[in-house]
Amino acid sequence: MKANLPSRRTGLALLGIVLLAAFLFVVARTGPFAPTRVTVTEVKSGNVAPALFGIGTVEARRAYLIGPTAAGRVLRVAVDVGEAVKAGQLLAEMDPVDLDQRVGALDASIARAASAAAAADAQRQDALARRELAALNAKRYVDLGGQKFVSPSVVEAKQQEQTSAEAAASAAEANLAAARQDATRLRAEREGLRRQRQNIRLVAPADGVVTARDAEPGSTVVAGQAVVRLVDPASLWLRVRFDQGRSAGLAAGLPAEIALRSRPGRPLAGKVQRLELLGDSVTEERIAQIAFEQMPEGIAIGELAEVTLRLPAGKAGLVLPNASLRRHGGETGVWVVRDGTLRFTPLRSGAADLEGNVEVFDGLQAGDRVVVHSEAELSADSRIRVVDAIVGQGK
Amino acid sequence: MISLAGRDILHSWGKFVFTGVGLGLLIGATLTMAGVYRGMVDDAQVLLANSGADIWVVQQDTLGPYAEPSSLRDDAYRAVLGMPGVARAANVTYLNMQVQQGDRDVRVMVVGFEPGQPGEPGYLVAGRRITRGHYEAVADVRTGFRLGDRIRIRRHDYTMVGLTRRMVSSGGDPMVFIPLRDAQEAQFLKDNDAIVNERARTAANPSLNRPGVPGLLEAIQASQTSSRSVNAVLVQVQPGQDAEAVAAPIRRWKHLEAYTRAQMEEILVAKLIATSAKQISMFLVILAVVSAAIVAFIIYTMTLGKIREIAVLKLIGTRSRTIAGMILQQALGLGFIGFVVGKISSALWAPFFPKYVLLLPADAVRSFIAVMIICAIASTLAIRAALRVDPATAIGG
Amino acid sequence: MDGFGIRIEGLRKRYGEGDTVVDALKEVNMTVAPGEVVGLIGPSGSGKTTLLKCLGAVIEPTAGRMTLGDEVIYDDGWKISDLKALRRDRIGFVFQAPYLIPFLDVTDNIALLPMLAGRPNGAARQRALELLEALDVGHRARAEPSQLSGGEQQRVAIARALANQPPVILADEPTAPLDSERALAVIRILNRMARQYDTAVIVVTHDEKIIPTFKRIYHIRDGTTREEAGEGREV
Repeated sequence: MKANLPSRRTGLALLGIVLLAAFLFVVARTGPFAPTRVTVTEVKSGNVAPALFGIGTVEARRAYLIGPTAAGRVLRVAVDVGEAVKAGQLLAEMDPVDLDQRVGALDASIARAASAAAAADAQRQDALARRELAALNAKRYVDLGGQKFVSPSVVEAKQQEQTSAEAAASAAEANLAAARQDATRLRAEREGLRRQRQNIRLVAPADGVVTARDAEPGSTVVAGQAVVRLVDPASLWLRVRFDQGRSAGLAAGLPAEIALRSRPGRPLAGKVQRLELLGDSVTEERIAQIAFEQMPEGIAIGELAEVTLRLPAGKAGLVLPNASLRRHGGETGVWVVRDGTLRFTPLRSGAADLEGNVEVFDGLQAGDRVVVHSEAELSADSRIRVVDAIVGQGK
Repeated sequence: MISLAGRDILHSWGKFVFTGVGLGLLIGATLTMAGVYRGMVDDAQVLLANSGADIWVVQQDTLGPYAEPSSLRDDAYRAVLGMPGVARAANVTYLNMQVQQGDRDVRVMVVGFEPGQPGEPGYLVAGRRITRGHYEAVADVRTGFRLGDRIRIRRHDYTMVGLTRRMVSSGGDPMVFIPLRDAQEAQFLKDNDAIVNERARTAANPSLNRPGVPGLLEAIQASQTSSRSVNAVLVQVQPGQDAEAVAAPIRRWKHLEAYTRAQMEEILVAKLIATSAKQISMFLVILAVVSAAIVAFIIYTMTLGKIREIAVLKLIGTRSRTIAGMILQQALGLGFIGFVVGKISSALWAPFFPKYVLLLPADAVRSFIAVMIICAIASTLAIRAALRVDPATAIGG
Repeated sequence: MDGFGIRIEGLRKRYGEGDTVVDALKEVNMTVAPGEVVGLIGPSGSGKTTLLKCLGAVIEPTAGRMTLGDEVIYDDGWKISDLKALRRDRIGFVFQAPYLIPFLDVTDNIALLPMLAGRPNGAARQRALELLEALDVGHRARAEPSQLSGGEQQRVAIARALANQPPVILADEPTAPLDSERALAVIRILNRMARQYDTAVIVVTHDEKIIPTFKRIYHIRDGTTREEAGEGREV
């Protein structure tokens, strides 16, 4: 208070000026009078290498469901999940119930059939012998009758005897054949049962790894239900879904970069093996199968993977970052900065790559400066201030 | 004539300036409070503006998607696209959740959008737009995420490829934008334990797990985890079309609710934040009363401190008008300093608020007028006291 | 100036009504010529402050007659409507304490009165500087009241009383807080100013140091004045 008047006045005036300056600064820098900060880039010519990005899961191309062909009870399961099996290896066995007994019965029948055949054979021998005797007798009587030693009626009786003996021989032949056929039938029947007995032994159709053990001994399964599941680990591939809107250029044979969820940092090489004709109309996705160039170790079925497909680069054109594309007045375009003023230029965009570069056509020339980032929605009379970066660029 | 008020202020400027600064901080708090309210309204409006939609199509009989939950089949948009006057229509999902950011949790609204369609952030402040159909995210800078950060939403990690600004939910939570398919999964899929438990429960149900029907259980479990719902369909109408005219047939024939921009604003501003607005306006009234009381007390005390001088002034023939004018000018001066300090301080501390604080120049002008009126009214107390001073007290005592 | 500086005839002042009536002034008669300094002496409760307030036009007497210069200002009622202008332009006040306005510098403290009377700032300040020179405090013209000594403050107060060249100055115990040397100095100044500006000066006091300096003294007791000659000692 003891300061003399002029210096106090200067001090107060200074304070007032500082306050007023701060006030004006605040008014100019905040609120609607403040300019919008933007970053700009020059339109460059170049070409974008488009890429497709899809999400897939690891699947087995060849998977086997091993189960019985008829309903039955599981007797034993010989393998467990994760076990590698060879083709033909016993995996599980169904309960045969009465199959073995039926085979025994048939064996007995076959033996009996053999005895019957032997009896028939003996009867045939007897008939053949009788036929030979009858033939000799008939021949002798025919000669005697020719010399008129015996009456013709006796000769005829002998001839009829011979005919009977021949018929008896034929019958014995037929009997023998029937007995033999019976034996053959029984053998065939037994073979059939033996096959059935084999069929309830579930064996591996190919080399593979057990992925599931769906039934345990004692449980009943219907025909076609799996007891054991197998996959061929060498046949693993990826079933990848691509957004329909971004699937242009998707084709078999494209090289792929696969990032498995378990090892996102180490992409694996692959190739589009097959492109399914059927897309998914509900999820609006296309499906492609992608094979590994080299099967990775320890991969699990069902594992998620990100797949990037690189398409061949297109022709050179104008390239912009996709952040610069805006919608304004129902059109897509960019804000061109010219002499500190903004002008909206509608344009068409073409191919895009995954790094955010877009090919554009119409309305722009190389060297034009366009707004990339902005603090707020822009309009033609926005006041702007060009800065290097609006926020820290991060890591 | 010299300015008595000015001379007095000049004489005791320290007291005056410090009182003014104190009052200014109080006014700053008042302005900030108004800014908080404006910020809430603005949050609601930018939410609508940023979605870029003219019509919101939501579940029938709901106020969705912001004020109430709404769930639509995700193929509903195709039917909407076919309606007359519709230019673009796109599915969108909204999900409020807590995500991990460094060591802290941030409350965010996860928006599932289709790139290039309504619902996508209109502008970025850094980075690029989403180019992969999955597992990329764009976030509001307020989330604290930076480019290249990994963010876990439910069961998947997303890479932060772009940052935007002023993209908030009606509650002011910053948004995180992820592709629609991922968002659907995040919203409708459960966590791993829940999925496993659900599977076990289904498998234990004998009518769903029948021994004679192989594959039935698998089919049921697959159908349980598929998600085919979205929260809303955002519609842009063709240029020149009236939004209400486009919305009416959607309501009538598609059995969906359709809100135009104006109706949506009504829902958000009038219904969602009405209570908060009342809360804040109560607070504003109290702050105004407190400010007025403080100005009144300060001016009154300053006047009482000068009572002897005022008696002398009156005795030597100073007019009451001159004395009243002196006190009024001092009150207004105090108000002016307070306003300037308040405006500066509120602008300085506003950016540090967790939610958006919008300081409108019109509000500033209004509050300036209010401060001046309050100061004028507050000074009447002091003026009355000064006018009641008997000039005779200067004589004798 | 011809005629009277101030003349008071039969002035009465009654406070209260009914049972609580107090006659503060019963019969006051005074005449002070321009350029003359008279003393008004009386014990506490004698009515001298009431008289001073009546003279200063801040309370209204009950009856009597007051003439200022050649204009009757009170005759059983105020004859002038604007008492503020009367106090401002035609009566100078000097108080027990200087009562300077602390937020105005010395010059403006004095110039304030002409300014209030509507004189331009320049002329008012000119007048103030003249008075300060006349009172030997011209060198403190830009100082603030708080920076002055007690004697200097009282001189500035006297200068303020003279600012509008009033025909009469009322001095209420102007020497009370001062030692005898400074008190006599104030009386000396008042005498000199009274002569120089042709002003009637009434000094209300009970200060024994200065009573001998008056040529004429009015004693007041129980609301009645009595005139007597003073020693008129030169100071």
